[in-house]
Amino acid sequence: MSTVVEQIEQQIAKLSSKAVKKNTGTIRAVADGVAKLDGLSDVMYNEMVQFPGGAIGIALNLEADEVGCVVLGDVSQLKEGDEVQTTGKLLSVPVGRALLGRVVDALGRPVDGKGPIDAKEFYPVEKIAPGIMVRKSVNQPLFTGIMAIDSMIPIGRGQRELIIGDRGTGKTTICIDTIINQGRINKVGLASGDKSFRPVYSIYVAIGQKQSNVVRTIAALEAAGALEYTVIVAATAGDNPANQYLAPFSGASIGEWFMENGMDALIVYDDLSKHAVAYRQISLILKRPSGREAYPGDVFYLHSRLLERAARLDGKGSLTALPVIETQAGDVSAYIPTNVISITDGQIFLETDLFNQGIRPAVSVGLSVSRVGSSAQIKVTKQVGGKLKGELAQFRELAAFAQFGSDLDAKTKAQLERGSRIVELFKQPQLNPLSIELQAAVLWALQKTYFDSIDVKNVVSAANSLKDYLTSRKDALLTKIRNEAKLSDEIEAGLKTAADEWKSTFAAQ
Amino acid sequence: MRGDKKTKLLAKQLFKLSLRDGQVSSEQVAGVLGYIEQAAPRHALALLKLYQQAIVIELAKSHARVEHAGPISAATLQLIASAMTKKYARPVTATAQSNPRLLAGLRVRIGSDLYESSVAGQLTTLSHAV
Repeated sequence: MSTVVEQIEQQIAKLSSKAVKKNTGTIRAVADGVAKLDGLSDVMYNEMVQFPGGAIGIALNLEADEVGCVVLGDVSQLKEGDEVQTTGKLLSVPVGRALLGRVVDALGRPVDGKGPIDAKEFYPVEKIAPGIMVRKSVNQPLFTGIMAIDSMIPIGRGQRELIIGDRGTGKTTICIDTIINQGRINKVGLASGDKSFRPVYSIYVAIGQKQSNVVRTIAALEAAGALEYTVIVAATAGDNPANQYLAPFSGASIGEWFMENGMDALIVYDDLSKHAVAYRQISLILKRPSGREAYPGDVFYLHSRLLERAARLDGKGSLTALPVIETQAGDVSAYIPTNVISITDGQIFLETDLFNQGIRPAVSVGLSVSRVGSSAQIKVTKQVGGKLKGELAQFRELAAFAQFGSDLDAKTKAQLERGSRIVELFKQPQLNPLSIELQAAVLWALQKTYFDSIDVKNVVSAANSLKDYLTSRKDALLTKIRNEAKLSDEIEAGLKTAADEWKSTFAAQ
Repeated sequence: MRGDKKTKLLAKQLFKLSLRDGQVSSEQVAGVLGYIEQAAPRHALALLKLYQQAIVIELAKSHARVEHAGPISAATLQLIASAMTKKYARPVTATAQSNPRLLAGLRVRIGSDLYESSVAGQLTTLSHAV
């Protein structure tokens, strides 16, 4: 009680009797979450505007005789003639460790019912991306825990890797698996007491998603113990377009705090197609000229300025971005997909056909690429999986021919056999990311032909059996692979012994 | 009624014609109104509304509306008018308007600027801060 009184007294002491200058205006019209205002002669672009009833807006259109403003909050209480005021502040969101484990809206307000967030710092939502001089090249790995990605399309810290595919092809699953994997790595790394260990904190931005999906994601992260390293920014389908437009920028600000304070962060924008749609809606209501597919002319700039904020900074941390784009009928040449493909440092393309064939994750090896990630790949993965992408590409090419004829030479048959085994081996259930040492061990076994004698339809169970064997009995060997990150003679000898032992037990089953 | 682009442009041009030495001139305004009546342009009503809006905004820049809760002397009004004239570098007049909701103090409105020095304003700031 006394603390509350003291707080009020402190606030009263701060108040002075000097006149305060404010810039005001009046509402001329409100429609679809956008208000047209008269006055506000001193308003700045992107400035927060205070509406009656606590709602705030952002000035987006500064015209000669009116100001166009998107309203964040309840517009039903606003009416023509209401007075609005400028705040002199750009829109800011709370940042810091206090947000970890929390679900917030586009303005950083908690929506998880866990009470207020004790954030000490605020960052502006719109921030200019780091310049050339402060950046450092991407050369540290970020493990997704998905074998097909970590071995063939590796992602580095500070990279922007697009995840693209039709609806229901597992785009979100890849992102969630990656976040879960960061949680697992963080737990192991922090428990090891290694001072050089750099945890990766995750930010998941849900844009225009169904609330039920967001709830499912939160539950999955919580069950996997990854929520404590994750911030969820939710602007669901029920939120107004202004919130959906702002959410990724708010998420980027939250991620930038980690980056600028010497930590590494991962941000998932799920998804930027819906973000573009929300921005198109706002732009059309603001009567901005529309261009291709009715998107405004600056939709490329919208995404480029967002994704440019992902970087690895010299002497500081990094922010890795995984934007998601949903294609229509696999059309990657549509406006928004081509825009985002050209902005990012590579893409993971997920194919509906592969997904329906049961190849999950349905990564299309031919269309997926990582432009900077290979320099971030650790040596052990390069040693065991360096040739996989080529082998798999050859397999896909040969598999098409193999359908038409039975007379195949021995070499082609061997390539097909091997390719089909690689495909089987890369099948991975969702919410089950693999540690990089386990991936390396399994790929080593593949490279050393341990799976060649196993029937193709049994490869998945054999791989699972090998993983179980290694995790339960060869923990020391896996730790050694993790720590050394390369295949030394000693590790290879250890792997050989382990694989031989496993093979004999597996064959006996 | 917002009018189309041409109407907006015409309203803007007529507004410019209504100024003399940067101030709204009643003779010029009378001349403009006479022209509208005579020429009867398309969307005359929309044009007149846009023209009126521009004139009102311009006039508000030269007029300080002083809201007060208690009594206010003519000398205070004059003081405010001269201070605003100096600040905005244009002749500003001041008129008083009683507003008991301010509780105490003054609120001066000139154009889209608001100078808040009332108890009600401070209480609002306090309520936002706590």
